Amino acid sequence: MDLAAEHVTVRFGGLVAIDDVSIAISPGEVLGLIGPNGAGKTTLVNVLAGFQAIARGSLRLGERSMAGSPASSFARSGIVRSFQSVRLFRGMTLSENVEVGFVSRGSGRQQARERALSLLKELNLHHKAHHPANALSYGEERRAGLARALALEPRFLLLDEPAAGLAAAEAEELRQTILALRDRYGCGILVIEHNMALVMSLCDRVHVIGSGKTIAIGTPEAVRADQAVRAAYLGGKELG
Amino acid sequence: MMAVPKGRDEGRVARLAPLLMLVAVVLLVAGAAELAPAVVQRRITQGLINLVAVVGLYVFVGNSGVLSFGNVAFMGIGAYVSALLTMAPAAKGVFLPDLPPFLAAAELPVAAGAFAGGAAAALVGAVAGFPLMRLSGISASIATFAILVVSYVVLGNWTSVTGGQNSLMGLPIYVGIWTATVWAVVAIVIAFFHQESRSGLLLRASREDEVAAAASGVNVVWNRFLAFVISAFLSGIAGVLLAHFLGTVRVETFYLDLTFLIIAMLVIGGTGSLTGAVSGALVITALTELLRQIEVGVPIGTTVIAAPAGLGDAVLALLMLAIILFRPKGISGGRELAWARGPKELKLSQPAADGHNS
Repeated sequence: MDLAAEHVTVRFGGLVAIDDVSIAISPGEVLGLIGPNGAGKTTLVNVLAGFQAIARGSLRLGERSMAGSPASSFARSGIVRSFQSVRLFRGMTLSENVEVGFVSRGSGRQQARERALSLLKELNLHHKAHHPANALSYGEERRAGLARALALEPRFLLLDEPAAGLAAAEAEELRQTILALRDRYGCGILVIEHNMALVMSLCDRVHVIGSGKTIAIGTPEAVRADQAVRAAYLGGKELG
Repeated sequence: MMAVPKGRDEGRVARLAPLLMLVAVVLLVAGAAELAPAVVQRRITQGLINLVAVVGLYVFVGNSGVLSFGNVAFMGIGAYVSALLTMAPAAKGVFLPDLPPFLAAAELPVAAGAFAGGAAAALVGAVAGFPLMRLSGISASIATFAILVVSYVVLGNWTSVTGGQNSLMGLPIYVGIWTATVWAVVAIVIAFFHQESRSGLLLRASREDEVAAAASGVNVVWNRFLAFVISAFLSGIAGVLLAHFLGTVRVETFYLDLTFLIIAMLVIGGTGSLTGAVSGALVITALTELLRQIEVGVPIGTTVIAAPAGLGDAVLALLMLAIILFRPKGISGGRELAWARGPKELKLSQPAADGHNS
């Protein structure tokens, strides 16, 4: 069952932010979404997660049309996104942050508490479970964001710059975490990322957009060699 | 310090701690009132009625983060519905000669009248909340203010049913200290179990970050709606209690002054916790009573020193300002009461939660 947007156009007033873009993610696949600043990457993730209405085109989860559904029902269907700035529920405990996902998918409070704790254990955050979410370090905060996403049992995980601000060693750890999640949940993962080394080593396929249009889709190697991609990015310089 | 894993039962008891302690506080206050002079007992009764209203407001405002100016309208609706259903038909014949026959003849037991008043308020809350809960932030607050204004205008001009600007008198006076106490406990129990419920958790997530809540699968509109209806019910009950405490209803009672008082109580106590709602209602009731005494005059020797009229409202406004500026989470600091040596999850929100997120 794929998550697919076809011929999608998004307008902000007169500005065409996404122009006739088609993008699809399959279960078990890691898809990179790259492009220069302002290319429309986050807007596209917003479309796929139900946060952005589309002016034209279609949006499907398998056979089911998702266009027009509220973002919360995308999340409950297993289309789960993260945010560049994590956006934890800062006035709640870390555990409660994670429980929200379990509860919105139907768990009772006690069951959600237990499942949140075991998920936090896996991410080595259980010692902070009952701490307020605004008392976490930067790295913990990002893992907490991941825990919150996993509570929704994602079928598709849309990660908006998960490696932003991470050191090289942490980025490598993140790469392994993402691959482990893919293997464990069998979910399709879309990653917006500026760290080209990470994109090239992590992704099965890479989708390149620029100025709201698709420039190239292909394997990391093919995209790296693509002339149009080089031109759009670094004025012809080699990528990554 | 590391969190110590707690047993399941122990955790459950600890989670009930705020409820048990708040109920104990209310019972203590009521017990003290029992021993106090009649005048003081009346003030405490009124304070407990305010407590029901503030807890009712808290159910929506505290959990959703959306300020409501409309809850006093629900108090008015509850008051009038209960008055119309429980007044003696003879009294209704005097004050409301044009009342529709089925209302003119109705004389329900007071308890049935109270539930009808709460239910009517909840129904109006549901009808108004259906479109309103789609709004967020300041636009939602302004829309709730519109509920207050509309209800004030309707109650004040629907002369055949409400008596318009005239007071309705002759209501059964049955609300004393223990009736008020029972309802105060009921309100606290309802608010507590709502806040601990699945819906309460999801609503608080939307309070913290509406977009991230939607991304966690939270149906913000539905959970707000549910809280708004519960909140309207409790406010309606508070109105019923006030009406049957005073024995009269007047449309002016349910407007800006009372709205300001109830909101001030919640803000000063702290919008973020049930403890805040309860402590705000009790502390401000005591304070306004003290200020009222000072306005009336304090005899010192042979002279009586009286403060200028209006001192009470001015102090309340300044106190609210001071709280907003210096302690935005109110007296309670946004926390619930916990056992003194209580579990981490309740105590830990103290040091870190204060500095941020105000």
